Amino acid sequence: MIEVENLSKVFVDTPVVDDVTFFVPEGQVLGFLGPNGAGKTTAMRMITTFLRPTAGTITVAGVNADDDPVGLRRNIGYLPENVPLYPEMRVDEYLRFRADIEEVPHRHQSARVDDVVDRCLLSDVNRQVIGTLSKGFRQRVGLAGALIHQPGVLILDEPTVGLDPNQIIRIRELLIELGRDHTVLLSTHILPEVETVCDRVLIINRGQIVADGTPDGLRSRMAGRPTLEVVFKDAPEDQVLGAFESLTGLLGVECLDEGRFRLECDAAADVRESTFRLAVDRGWTLLEMSPGKASLEDVFVRLTTDEQADPAEEV
Amino acid sequence: MVKTLAILRRELIAYFSSPLAYMVLTGFLLLQGGIFYLVLAFLNNPGAQTMAPMEAFFGGTIFFWLFLLFVVPVITMRLIAEERKTGTIEVLLTSPVTEGQIITGKFLAALVFYAALWLPTGLYVVILRRYSDIDLGPVLAGYLGVLLVGFLFLGVGTFASTLTSNHLIAAILAFVGLVALCAVPLIEQLLVSDSLFKAALGHMDLWSHMEDYAMGIIDTRHVVYELSVGLLFLFLAIRSLEMKKGR
Repeated sequence: MIEVENLSKVFVDTPVVDDVTFFVPEGQVLGFLGPNGAGKTTAMRMITTFLRPTAGTITVAGVNADDDPVGLRRNIGYLPENVPLYPEMRVDEYLRFRADIEEVPHRHQSARVDDVVDRCLLSDVNRQVIGTLSKGFRQRVGLAGALIHQPGVLILDEPTVGLDPNQIIRIRELLIELGRDHTVLLSTHILPEVETVCDRVLIINRGQIVADGTPDGLRSRMAGRPTLEVVFKDAPEDQVLGAFESLTGLLGVECLDEGRFRLECDAAADVRESTFRLAVDRGWTLLEMSPGKASLEDVFVRLTTDEQADPAEEV
Repeated sequence: MVKTLAILRRELIAYFSSPLAYMVLTGFLLLQGGIFYLVLAFLNNPGAQTMAPMEAFFGGTIFFWLFLLFVVPVITMRLIAEERKTGTIEVLLTSPVTEGQIITGKFLAALVFYAALWLPTGLYVVILRRYSDIDLGPVLAGYLGVLLVGFLFLGVGTFASTLTSNHLIAAILAFVGLVALCAVPLIEQLLVSDSLFKAALGHMDLWSHMEDYAMGIIDTRHVVYELSVGLLFLFLAIRSLEMKKGR
């Protein structure tokens, strides 16, 4: 649905998006992840034809951005960052205006407005002036506007930024629902959002794609060696460190906190049983034992802070 | 067409939901009323030259031009600058509307507002007709002149509004451009000696254009000048809006 090839954007000698290539198949929800200033917004603005790329080609639903920008825009629903709206208009007035400029035929407009008002839970504020609405409602009005012409592709730039936790949950539910019948490209720097909403993640840093895969795939790919976290009661640190050195299949021990240790294990070995036996032999009380799981957060931090991050590894 | 009209309609909603519109309307009417009174008082003087009141009202005084110079930038300053400041331009330019449709819709909205500004002055004609016989032809030609000069001026203002996201800067740019257009006769008289150049500038003299309209003379050369310069600036506005994408 969305094909981006060798896309670059240079702002006065500074490459903001640097030779980015990716493809989003129909029906996929792709999370565009990256720190602030990574080039997410710029890339999205180029895909929506709001900015002209320095180099590269963009095709959305078979329409090339250079050949027919207006035709391309017919297929997308775009929610820009910070949700720009006209504060002096009423919600239904605004949605009708959007319907007009998005070429919704007049006879379908009422039905379309009713549908998006319903989907985005706006019926209570339908006649309210947009300027008087809360941030959460405004976000939903923006989303409703992007949905008015039933686009096949939704491009959402940080749709949950600046919302309170309840509103975030509501918008996320809506996003999951929309993901069922739309191709969605969504940018965010909130990681739990990606895990709950997206089928696939692209991590972008300094204008380049540094990782591409499913949230689970990225996690396991980046997790490295399995780890085990154990907590003992009444176990002196030096004794524990000494005792674990002799354990087979164990590559390293690290004391995290008083009584809390992280064991780095060989991928093939299961050290849980021997750890338990050791504790029993020594008379330490084992309070907790849990397998360490790399969070997407770790992956993100590693990829976007490490200078030597591997470029675009397929997972 | 539907999309241009949608933009026009939205723009009018924006005009009439802001206090600025009513301030401009009120101020304009108060001042025009004052001028109308002064014109009548002056012409009622036994020693005064004979002149049709509406002729003096349209372009016969410096005030006519002063109002236009201040009012037009206020009307046009927010057209594109506001969209750029709030980011709504991004919504417009990522929907299937062209730059041409955006500029046309917004310009027409400004023209409608401008016409609305002048509408109440029609009462002066009614008042005059009650007390004396007036020739309606020159009055209608005068209103046509007001519209045509407005067309040109609003075109300049629309272009100025595409250049910046700051209202004040847009207004100042428009003001400077309009002053330059109005200063043509001054430049012609004081600075230019070359006869060909002088003749060319003579055709660009809006003051004399307006005097002709007010006397009931509709010279097609004047009409073509106002329309073509207005359209030129609208074209520049469209180009300017397109250019911003490359940056």
